[in-house]
Amino acid sequence: MALSPGTDEYRLPCGRDVESLWEELDAPDEHGTSCQHCQASRASLQLLRETTAELVADDTEPPPGLTARIMAAVRADVRRRDLLELPTTEAGAARISAQAAATILRFAADTVDGVRARHCRVELDATGAVVELNIAVDGRTFSHPALEQVRQRVETAAGSRIGWPTVTLHLTMTDIFEA
Amino acid sequence: MTVTGTQLDDVTLVARARDGDAHAYEQLVTRYEGPIYRLALRMLANAADAEDVTQDAFLTAWRQLGQLQEDAAFVGWLYRSATNRCLNVIRSRKPLVDGTPEEHAAPGPDGKPEQQAETSAQLAALSAAMARLTPEKRACWLLREVHGRSYDEIAATLAVSATTVRGRIARARAELAEVMSPWR
Repeated sequence: MALSPGTDEYRLPCGRDVESLWEELDAPDEHGTSCQHCQASRASLQLLRETTAELVADDTEPPPGLTARIMAAVRADVRRRDLLELPTTEAGAARISAQAAATILRFAADTVDGVRARHCRVELDATGAVVELNIAVDGRTFSHPALEQVRQRVETAAGSRIGWPTVTLHLTMTDIFEA
Repeated sequence: MTVTGTQLDDVTLVARARDGDAHAYEQLVTRYEGPIYRLALRMLANAADAEDVTQDAFLTAWRQLGQLQEDAAFVGWLYRSATNRCLNVIRSRKPLVDGTPEEHAAPGPDGKPEQQAETSAQLAALSAAMARLTPEKRACWLLREVHGRSYDEIAATLAVSATTVRGRIARARAELAEVMSPWR
């Protein structure tokens, strides 16, 4: 009989190990059904198994407001740098955070059926915006034209929603998901 | 079709959060704060400490997302962080007179001690029995039997071998069953 490591001290007077009783809880052998020690231990283990199931089902919720407290700390921690210039005809500068720009572009990619934007990094160089976008696609519905659609929608969003007329988009399909 | 209102998978959310997308991270918090809080509550038997551990675990995870090697490993990483925080809280508590672990059961938000809030007498007996396990055994047993984490992950969390984890769970089960005896 295979004994689990370190459970020798939980041996019953009849010589059985508690862990082997656990493993055969629903199918005790002849000794197990007749031995008083085994019967008593098996009843305890069955009660433990039932109560553990109650604990698994327990859905005690965290105190109300915990999510808000966590997110307040997270948002206070969000990096404020990585500001990117926006074209403007006015005297004052206009900037957008790289995270906000990435959120807008990811949303544009998400509008294509079966596509989920993941990593998105936005930088500016002399030519305009340079976007590195990784996407996951639905393995059952994906077809190549969807990539062109992603490209069009991201470029349109960059132009019409953010104000960057020229975008170099590096698009990588990194994963498949099943919805 | 837009994905608004659709449940995004964890890997997508982690990848976005890693880029600094707080909204994506909020969805991960909403998804996992319950299990992490319940683990901490069972480990610590104190609602305020469990809340602190949960908040710290999520804030640290956010700050260290860049160091996560594999986006799919996020949840295991969160369990690991929360478990070790719980063990640190227990180590920092003043030593108790043996056999009085319930002293930590401070009143919950509704003013009742948490153990009175248990839904059944057996569950209350199990909670009391769990409080008498060593913290390491309690962590192993809870992570495996209640939260369904793998032996390898638990071993990595506690920096011990998977064989040691199996041994601790077996001993925890024997000790809990002894207290749970229906004839007591």
